[in-house]
Amino acid sequence: MSAGRFLLRAAAVALAACVASGCGPTRAADADAAKPGPVEIDLMRFFGSCDATYGNNTDPRAAVGECGILTSLVNEFNAQNKGRIVVRTQIGEWGPYYDQLNARLVASDVPAVAVMHESMLGDYVRRKLVEPLDADFAQVGIDTNDFTAHAHRGVTFAGKTYALPFDTWSWLWHFDMGLMKKAGLVTAEGKPVLPHSPDELLAQARQFRKATGKPYFAWAAANEPSANTRTFLTLVYQQNGKVFADDGRAINLHTPEVEKALDLMQALYDEGDVKPGQDYASSNQSYLNGDVGVLIVGTWTIAQFMSEAKKPDSPLHAGYYVTPFPTLYARPAIFADGHSWVLMKGGTPDARSRAAALQLMKFLYDHDGDWARTGHLTTRKSVAESADFKALPFRAELAEITSTGVSIPNNVGTQRAVENLIGEDIGNIVVSHKPRAKALADIEKRVNAQLRRGHH
Amino acid sequence: MSVAIRRSGFDRAVLALLCILAFAWMLPLLWVLALSFKPNEFLMSRTDAFLAPPYTLANYLNILQTSQVFRWVLNSVVVAMGQTVGVVVLSSLAGYGFARTEFPGRRLVFALVIFGLAIPSQSIFIPLHRMFSHWGLQNTYAGLMLPGLAAPFGVYLMTQYFRAIPAELEEAAMLDNASRLKTFLRVILPLSLPAQATLAIFTFLAAWNDYLWPLVIATKPEMYTLTRGLASTQTNFAQSEGLGFLMSQAVFAGLPVLTVYVFFQKYLVSAVAGTGRRTEAKA
Repeated sequence: MSAGRFLLRAAAVALAACVASGCGPTRAADADAAKPGPVEIDLMRFFGSCDATYGNNTDPRAAVGECGILTSLVNEFNAQNKGRIVVRTQIGEWGPYYDQLNARLVASDVPAVAVMHESMLGDYVRRKLVEPLDADFAQVGIDTNDFTAHAHRGVTFAGKTYALPFDTWSWLWHFDMGLMKKAGLVTAEGKPVLPHSPDELLAQARQFRKATGKPYFAWAAANEPSANTRTFLTLVYQQNGKVFADDGRAINLHTPEVEKALDLMQALYDEGDVKPGQDYASSNQSYLNGDVGVLIVGTWTIAQFMSEAKKPDSPLHAGYYVTPFPTLYARPAIFADGHSWVLMKGGTPDARSRAAALQLMKFLYDHDGDWARTGHLTTRKSVAESADFKALPFRAELAEITSTGVSIPNNVGTQRAVENLIGEDIGNIVVSHKPRAKALADIEKRVNAQLRRGHH
Repeated sequence: MSVAIRRSGFDRAVLALLCILAFAWMLPLLWVLALSFKPNEFLMSRTDAFLAPPYTLANYLNILQTSQVFRWVLNSVVVAMGQTVGVVVLSSLAGYGFARTEFPGRRLVFALVIFGLAIPSQSIFIPLHRMFSHWGLQNTYAGLMLPGLAAPFGVYLMTQYFRAIPAELEEAAMLDNASRLKTFLRVILPLSLPAQATLAIFTFLAAWNDYLWPLVIATKPEMYTLTRGLASTQTNFAQSEGLGFLMSQAVFAGLPVLTVYVFFQKYLVSAVAGTGRRTEAKA
């Protein structure tokens, strides 16, 4: 066969395959609308896929981890509503999740329900892309008065509730109690001795280093800008400082609180109290290998670290402890954010699908306690006070974050980008000694430009 | 004799150096392969154990047990093959037009095509997505394939290749009353097979590995390509909690590409080395 004929035939085959397999626009939604039977709604989320392990599990209590528990919850909901509602889960990656969600909105391929960070919610509220839910919540039995203080702030805009808060996650200190004991930093009750001021922290870190020969901390200072931001903002908030203007449209880092926060972070790093050059994965590794006394990372690692502490050959064996980020200044405050569920505008084309979506939200509200097993904190006061929640390891102590958690004010737009811009240059200050004045000026310039774009 | 020995020694030294460099280059790939056979829990604390136990196939089994993975493979095959055939056909036709025919504005249009080489695909991403979603092509094979058919590099490559083919061959065919189309199909196209193969390989690899466009145009799991689908299965902190799974995904997604390379490496190497013409001359 000649090359020309081959090419023409190949093109024809490709075209035929394309047509046969549906090159054109999908009409699944139209078909669904006409089809009798269960109503189908799309649920968009991150947290990964774990079909292989939990694809058929309908008992969330038999699952572990974010993906396992959420997959099981949706399976249980589908099983309970068999013949009436089918929830189709559509998974996006954590990194580009919002890009993908935005792409879907542009294409009018809107999911009914989507998971959303509370720090992102404001952008969607301002663009009128999510529905206010107070009346619907009252109708299906979701009590907004039961939301914890942090959760309530996170989903409320101008007095209206725009999402179902699902958890509060925050910034914790994960301790290696074996090393803490060696350093003489354990109380009689077997808890870590917590510092109450920057000076106490520096003194404890020196004591730890002297006794163990190891740095006190590991934290992700490199390639994880948001981690720097969370530590930095925690230290600023604890001084009652603020960095954003009241209208959320500008940032100001030329304050004494900012200077003090950076002084502490830099002193810890320069004195060798932080294992240098660590990213997210390597800081976790350092902690699990017994190379540091404290890892600063979020709520989501609790279950894994507990599991690691059960292994006899682990350096962390029988020595795991976790507390909220200690209060080093005047005010108990910790950077916190949360995951929430939103009802996307245009995602429920008829009353039936809207009712189904709200029923799913009610189900998730009812199972907030199951989700709290991930390590995240509950968003319901009643669950926080329940025996089940308090029986979960460390949760009694961590529950204070549901009231002491502080987020970036929700009138600040594009918070994810802002977090990264702040964290990049804080990392530059701490790790590579970029002149502080220049770094702070750069952050202000870049963040203010971002905020201007975010409010257009 | 001594010159021969010296040369032999020099050759061996060069060979040894190349082997060392090749090994160094392959080290990250071998590392990926080794980690793909380790349990995720183990990799949370250690990533430096290449050959030491523990070993597991669980990461690969997890991929294979993911309900839609073979659908994603099929989607990738359809998209990569469709795009490859489309690019080769369109680039060959356009290249021939630019190389061998005269029409008003030819230089200007060719300059525009060349200009296209300088435009990063990301810079036209948003308008492209708006256009395709407006046409209702979200979550369709057409939506996945069509943007890739605009291939300035392919047009440029084929144009340059056709220009290098002696015009006498074409004139001889025309003297024998062959039409322009017949001349193109029967005389010119067969001579350009090496260039077409090169273009096809590059296009296939690019289409197979593409992640960004499928990320926004394919939002339903049944329309994900393999890269997009595998990425969607990763947990939020895969670099720490699911590293073995992550590495096995890289190996799994890379296998078809490796297969293409094994079978077509002659063309690929000659394309990279810029010696496609010589291959053609031999053919």
